[in-house]
Amino acid sequence: MDYQDRKVILSVEDLNVKFNLRGKVLHAIRGITLDVYQGETLAIVGESGSGKSVLNKNFIGLLDANGFISDGKIIYYGMDDGNPRILSDFQKEKEWLTIRGSEVSMIMQDPMTSLNPLKTVGKQIGEAVRLHQGLKGAALRQAVIKILGDVGIPEPEKRYAQYPHEFSGGMRQRVVIAIAIACRPKILICDEPTTALDVTIQAQILNLLKKLKKDYNLTVIFITHDLGVVANIADRVAVMYAGDIIEIGTSKEIFYESRHPYTWALLSSLPQLGVKGEELYSIKGTPPNLFKEVRGDAFAPRNPQALAIDFEKIPPYFDISPTHKAKTWLLDPRAPKIEPPAVIQQIRAAKKGGAEYGE
Amino acid sequence: MLKYILKRLARSLLTLLIIVSIVFILMRKMPITGYFPNYDHMSQEAIANGLHMMGLDLPVHQQLLLFLKGLFTKGSLGISYVYRNQVPVTEILATKWPISVKLGLLGQALALLIGLPLGTVMAQHKGGWIDRFGTGFIVTIQALPAAVYFLLIQLYATEAFRLPLAFTYENPKTWILPVFSLALPNIVYYAMWLRRYMVDESTKDYVKLCQIKGMSSRAIMFKHVFRNAFVPLGQYLPTTLLNTVVGSIYVESLYSIPGMGGLLVDVIKRQDNAMVQAIVMIFATVGIVGLILGDIMMSLLDPRISFTGKKGGR
Repeated sequence: MDYQDRKVILSVEDLNVKFNLRGKVLHAIRGITLDVYQGETLAIVGESGSGKSVLNKNFIGLLDANGFISDGKIIYYGMDDGNPRILSDFQKEKEWLTIRGSEVSMIMQDPMTSLNPLKTVGKQIGEAVRLHQGLKGAALRQAVIKILGDVGIPEPEKRYAQYPHEFSGGMRQRVVIAIAIACRPKILICDEPTTALDVTIQAQILNLLKKLKKDYNLTVIFITHDLGVVANIADRVAVMYAGDIIEIGTSKEIFYESRHPYTWALLSSLPQLGVKGEELYSIKGTPPNLFKEVRGDAFAPRNPQALAIDFEKIPPYFDISPTHKAKTWLLDPRAPKIEPPAVIQQIRAAKKGGAEYGE
Repeated sequence: MLKYILKRLARSLLTLLIIVSIVFILMRKMPITGYFPNYDHMSQEAIANGLHMMGLDLPVHQQLLLFLKGLFTKGSLGISYVYRNQVPVTEILATKWPISVKLGLLGQALALLIGLPLGTVMAQHKGGWIDRFGTGFIVTIQALPAAVYFLLIQLYATEAFRLPLAFTYENPKTWILPVFSLALPNIVYYAMWLRRYMVDESTKDYVKLCQIKGMSSRAIMFKHVFRNAFVPLGQYLPTTLLNTVVGSIYVESLYSIPGMGGLLVDVIKRQDNAMVQAIVMIFATVGIVGLILGDIMMSLLDPRISFTGKKGGR
């Protein structure tokens, strides 16, 4: 994909998000800068608590009531009138209603609780269609049935009048996706949409999302902690750790050319890359306490090969290619040469041997 | 559904039978002195005569069988000997129950009319001044014995609004305070539970999905949260009916309303067996009907509740 000509649809500038919790302040997002390009699939990976979901909730105005943007800007460029909207300045619900659904929509993790148990799925999808496409009566019903078919639900006419409890988990997630799609959004945020589903269904849902992305011209932000899923779906990958994006690049770059020790550690702990008979790699320690200000590289305390400066000063982004950058002092010309772990070297060797990524 | 309701009715009938039998037997275990106001001055013979006339000289199980036979064959609830002399109970109650039912229904309607909006507004502005004020009001009414606020209403409201103290059937003005008194415990009951369930519902994931869809919080409140919070309220319907029954016992005597409520205390004191049985039976029926109505209402509103047995999902 050529990123030179791509139009930026969503731009995040030095975003800081904090939460008030029992008199203390938690610094959840620590200065993220990110551009999302129109039509791409951007995966955001990281372990639990790294701030993936918090970051994305800002794009749709659903940050929990005790959270606030303390600094930085979020600008949305996708409006039909061509004027950018500064989402980070939105205060009122009325402003958000111009964005939610019609511009940015979202699929949540747990399809079992995401639907109202007392309304038929047809009604729940219909609400979105009526709101954003202004259809009524028979036309509304037709549109809903078409969407049900689009998301791969068999016998949509019969399913239209059924209640959520009559659907399996995978089918419910399709309904949730149908609701998101029915709003005709430009950006679709998928917050771990396959985590709650069993593995055989996961692949179906991923394929469905790929197909919908094409059919509906979507920009997809895909939040996950599963790198296997990332390889399958993403054009670009942003790796988050402790509320910051520590490395970002195209999927190929992240899988084969990663530079940040945390990305290495994440890749090393992929079960698919483990060696049979050997213990699977796991990252030692726990993520930093974000109630305290983090000094230097947040990953340093868990990194056995951390440099002295990692504990002192936050590394800046170092560009590796026009699309690839990482926040690690290892990329400073003065840094000692540290070899990535064996697994990473194997991946790189495998690529030279001609194997394609994602396989 | 129909099969379920029929089954339910049959079982309710059994419950009713047990309640009536227990009350029947308990009444027969009371000392016979209570049947005769001037017991001390009566001869043994006169007492035996009196007992025979009332049918009280038979063994208890025979009396019970006779009563049930009369109930099922003639719809008779027995004959009153003390409250009125030798008048069938059904005849006495015929003029009384319509008043109580009217009062009760009006009270119930008023409770819904005030309680539901109050609960909704409180849930919408959770933590705001209206919620705090409402909670204070609810706690006060819940904590006070009903007798206290019934009395206070009568004492102050009659004066403040220049309303007559005694009830007259023809004068609608005299209905206001009794109906309001009956409604008050249910107003706070509905408001309390509706608020609680709405607050519960509004934290659920589907509400978030509605926000993501771009629905306004007002629309979400009314189209999703209120409706879903209303379903569990069905289980409180019987309690509110009982609140009304219990309330009517006191309220009716306060305003000298010629209904059924005030009557119960009176006939228990005077040991009029037939009257007590009949009134207890009617009150128990109200409670049981409330239970059935609550369940039916819940099943109509919640598609997940099915009485017709398991249907295959997915």
